[in-house]
Amino acid sequence: MVRRPLASALIALACVAVPLLGCRKHKNTGPASTGSSQSGSSSSPTAFARNETLYVGGRQWGEPSNFNPLAGWQDWPVNSMNLIYETLVMYNPVEGKLVPLLAESWDVKGDSVSFTINKAAKWNDGKPVTGEDVKYTFDLGKQFASLLMSPLWTGKYITDVKLTDPQTVTFTLDATKKNALPVLDAAVEIRIVPKHVIEPMMTAAGNNIDEFLKNKMDKELVGSGPYKLLTYSSEKIVTQRDDNYWGNAVFFGGKLAAPKFVTHPIFKSNDHFSVGLQQGNVDTSASFLPRIQEKKNVKAWYDKAPYFVSATIPMLWPNVLQAPLDDVHLRRAMAFSINYTDIRELAVSGYSDPLESGMILPFDKLENKYFSAEDAKQFGASRYDVEAAKAELKTGGYTSVFKDGELVEMKDKSGKKVPTITIKSPTGWTDWESIVKIVVKSMRAAGIDAREKFVDASLFWGDLYTADFDVIMFTPTAPPSPSTPWRRFDVVLSGAEWAPKGEKRYKNLGRFNNPKGPGYIARIDELLNEIPRIKDEAELVKAYRELNLIFMKNQPTLPLVYRADQFYEFTEQAWKGFPTAANPFLPPQMPGDRLGTRILWHLTPAGGK
Amino acid sequence: MLRRHPQLRHILGRAGWYFVTFLVAVTINFMLPRLGDANPVDAMMARAGTTDVTAAREKEEAFLKEFQLVEVGDDGKVVRDKAGKPVRTSLVKQFGSYLAMSLQGDLGTSILQYPKPVSEIISNALPWTLCLQLPTIIFGWIIGNLLGALAAYKRGVFDRLLYPLALLVSAVPAFCFGLLMVYYFGIKWEWFPAVGGYDPGTVPEFSVEFLEGAAYYYVMPFLSIFLVVVGGQAIGMRSMCIYELGTDYVKYAKLLGIKENKILLYTFRNAMLPQLTGLALALGGMVGGALITEIIFSYPGLGMAILTAIQGHDYSVITGCTLLITVSVLAANFTVDILVGLLDPRIRVAQAGSK
Amino acid sequence: MALVKGLFKLPAFLLGLFLFAGTLILALLGPLVMHLDVKNRVGAPYMAPSGAHWLGTDHLGLDMVSMLVMGLRASLYVGFLAGLVATVLGTLIGVYGGYKGGLLDDILTAGTNLFLVIPSLIVLILLSSSMDEGRSLTLIALILGCTTWTWSARAVRAQASSLRARDHVALARINGFSTFQIVTEQILPYLLSYVFMVFILQTATGILSEATISMLGLGPYDSVSLGKILNDAKMNEALTGGAWWAFMPAMFLVTVIVFSLYVINTAMEGVFNPRLRK
Repeated sequence: MVRRPLASALIALACVAVPLLGCRKHKNTGPASTGSSQSGSSSSPTAFARNETLYVGGRQWGEPSNFNPLAGWQDWPVNSMNLIYETLVMYNPVEGKLVPLLAESWDVKGDSVSFTINKAAKWNDGKPVTGEDVKYTFDLGKQFASLLMSPLWTGKYITDVKLTDPQTVTFTLDATKKNALPVLDAAVEIRIVPKHVIEPMMTAAGNNIDEFLKNKMDKELVGSGPYKLLTYSSEKIVTQRDDNYWGNAVFFGGKLAAPKFVTHPIFKSNDHFSVGLQQGNVDTSASFLPRIQEKKNVKAWYDKAPYFVSATIPMLWPNVLQAPLDDVHLRRAMAFSINYTDIRELAVSGYSDPLESGMILPFDKLENKYFSAEDAKQFGASRYDVEAAKAELKTGGYTSVFKDGELVEMKDKSGKKVPTITIKSPTGWTDWESIVKIVVKSMRAAGIDAREKFVDASLFWGDLYTADFDVIMFTPTAPPSPSTPWRRFDVVLSGAEWAPKGEKRYKNLGRFNNPKGPGYIARIDELLNEIPRIKDEAELVKAYRELNLIFMKNQPTLPLVYRADQFYEFTEQAWKGFPTAANPFLPPQMPGDRLGTRILWHLTPAGGK
Repeated sequence: MLRRHPQLRHILGRAGWYFVTFLVAVTINFMLPRLGDANPVDAMMARAGTTDVTAAREKEEAFLKEFQLVEVGDDGKVVRDKAGKPVRTSLVKQFGSYLAMSLQGDLGTSILQYPKPVSEIISNALPWTLCLQLPTIIFGWIIGNLLGALAAYKRGVFDRLLYPLALLVSAVPAFCFGLLMVYYFGIKWEWFPAVGGYDPGTVPEFSVEFLEGAAYYYVMPFLSIFLVVVGGQAIGMRSMCIYELGTDYVKYAKLLGIKENKILLYTFRNAMLPQLTGLALALGGMVGGALITEIIFSYPGLGMAILTAIQGHDYSVITGCTLLITVSVLAANFTVDILVGLLDPRIRVAQAGSK
Repeated sequence: MALVKGLFKLPAFLLGLFLFAGTLILALLGPLVMHLDVKNRVGAPYMAPSGAHWLGTDHLGLDMVSMLVMGLRASLYVGFLAGLVATVLGTLIGVYGGYKGGLLDDILTAGTNLFLVIPSLIVLILLSSSMDEGRSLTLIALILGCTTWTWSARAVRAQASSLRARDHVALARINGFSTFQIVTEQILPYLLSYVFMVFILQTATGILSEATISMLGLGPYDSVSLGKILNDAKMNEALTGGAWWAFMPAMFLVTVIVFSLYVINTAMEGVFNPRLRK
């Protein structure tokens, strides 16, 4: 049922013989009827009516190969939450609130977090979702350290997951850390899997996780979500609505999601999703598309710049293990020297608010209470100010040698030539290439001897994780979650993640703040440990302000611009009813992605075409 | 016995050389991608987005073991050097296990598309590649040669128009046709669908509905390659025909008063030989995929599969695809060698006399 | 010499020469007469052509005329270098194989076939990831040269083996000349015009290949080339946005260079290969 490449080949061959007469204006208009069933047990539609199908994009690039919910990554739709497998709760980044899904209620205490599973929740094979399934899912992470839920255990955040009653799962927090944030993050990020399906498969694999992960799970797919995987090939993945979805009655008063099918076409490059959106062949996409204001029919969250809601900060990571980048004056000089306006306007199509110093997003309604404009003005260096850059260089004892207006070299206070600082970025990532070029141009103008170094993408990752770079470009992604902005600081500053060059690390990539080194700032790690435990709002504001100030003064990384966690784009040529900033009934997340899944119940066919 | 069959001896000799070439090619294609420093697992880890050291280490070990890239100790754990880096399995050892596997018909598992077998990736992509290129090359070849022969025979206005046009068409970078078509026919005027292989609202099957849709999607990718093939073939055929028309045997035949049609037939048959060679080579090289066309039209195919694999250092997929390319290109070359020897009397004589 | 004079009487040859010289002059003299700047932005992304910027700006707000001239220089450089490498390699291997025949010929032919089946993309990506300086323009040219010489080797080999049986070659052999002497003195001079035509075609191939490689995002990191301009235009959706100036001029330049080279080549073919003359 799933794929017939050979047949398609023969057909296309035959097509050559089909005379091609006339040129009608073409839109993908499936016939109105679906469901001419095929033989045997499974019935499969051979055509998907346009007014029953939602086309989504930007979440799948290569050929689909893996739908295993426990694998490190999967293909669409498993990789986007809550279409097939569901999480305990969802997070609304606009309101900063948790939203019930499998768990109808939750209770965050000082030493534990518990979730009560909705009694109505069902797997799509009819069996109920119970606390057992949840416990099983999280316990897998204790048993197998490579799974997505294992950091809860290996990071020593929880000591235990137990059933306080059949429907209530309680996570016991580690007594010293008492940090509930990672548990809440896991509750919105970990897909709950059906124990009754997974356990027998695990046993069959000899309880060996590597053997188990060889299962593609494209057929044995039992989820609790509103859609089922119908068919997939190298051109598209199709999901079909499960009309018996338990959530219809619980959340939507018995209403069904509007599209009968949600399909993800597989394109080779971003611009094809752009074309698809403009022509109305793709309804919504999460892909980057430049200059959205020029695209006919394409809309975003805001109807003017910055168009998207930013949540992450692309940044440069200096390797602070080595001279001269261990010098805070140089790092601050670098920060002052960069032309951030050029980056914003040229490299990211203006999809960003103006950059402010520090790592708090000043435009974010939930976060801006932690932002201090005063601190940023007085101590921040993330603004384009060549004079300030030169002053910092002077303080650090650096002299720049120019000839005919071009920088020749830079000397340190002992008069020795400072080796050229290279900024690494993967070749072929054109938006990053543009950013790095602007950065290099700015730095050289200010007298800092920096050059771009574009490396093969496969080498890039190894270099990134082993600190094999002078300065490297990387965006630490942290989708908005209950732990925002704590997680953003943790990824950049965590001294607990410090390691010497050569050892692989996935946080604190520039190796800042060695706990055993000279000049260790113990306050950073104290604050990172304290903040998750602080309940009092005023105290939290104080703590974040202090942490942000330390960041600004030390400039361990150089933030460059803001970027959306997901470029939420849509067109209303075939479907109407998408949320926008003017009508924010749901956050800017694509249908079929986290809380955005609920958009599916609000859509209506646009009629017309 | 071979002594009495110089042609058979020649064929066997050639076959021997091709087999040696094949063995060397397989070895090089296996070794080359693995020579660099790149560790394909790093990119996978990045994609998985793990930030936890223990989890990442476990996962990395599992993959390194699975793909036999590192030495595994008696305790089943990855052997690490003093710096903590996994000890790589030697290339020779890897090659040995690769040969053993491929002899059993197993091309291995993809790293990037884990756990998909390489054979599945190839069998998914190959039909698309073939149906995009086979008709294009064959029709383009036939039409190009007809036009070239006509131009050579008729000369005059027809030639003066066609020839520069063919030159121009071959001078435009192939992908430019594709991009311009997508822009004008696909986006601006919406005559044809801009991207994709068939109507996304359908599933491949034998129905009028689907066939009509697929044909519609086929037009632009087809044309973008077709034009280039026609241009190239027309130029080649025209030169060959003019050359043959000027040879002594044609002059002699004319003196003898042989009918013009018959002379033309002879000339074209001789002119066709090198063109036939070109066709065979094009068909052999076809398996490598029409990479740019695939990218421009989001057409699934082998070209894209190979590019992704090379960029992601997906060793087993690279080796699998290059094996396919090696076999098809060498087979095409071999066929040409033998065919030319059999068909062209001049070369046949040379072969028989040379040894 | 008479042949060369005849060449200059051919309108087709003159047209090709005129076009090619035009691009060459633009590339060589452009930076001297015009104020070119490919570093500093002069305006907004994809600004339409104006009096100050005849062909508008690219996605980074850089002056398109400057980009095109610099790109043209880079593309011609890649073309010539790749053409040179491919022609030298192809000629040496083809002439030796064709003249010597026998085992050496078999080995060289097998070697040539080998290069047909190793995808040049693998070599390109592997070399650029293992070299410290990365994928420079020169590296790309060298790799292109080293992977496209196969057909010139085949073509030259066929020519050389036909010369083998000529009287003057046989005479030289009988007189005890060394292989090297025979190849350089008795065979190469007869092939010179042919080798030159091979060089022209290889240069055209080099320019087209650079454009293709850059389209895949594997272009040089250290310079602007015509292929990179085209790739940037595609990646940044210049065409869908109607910014023809970001795409058409670069495409036009590539086409003009390659077309002029093709025209020169065919004109020469007509002159040096008397049978092709009417």
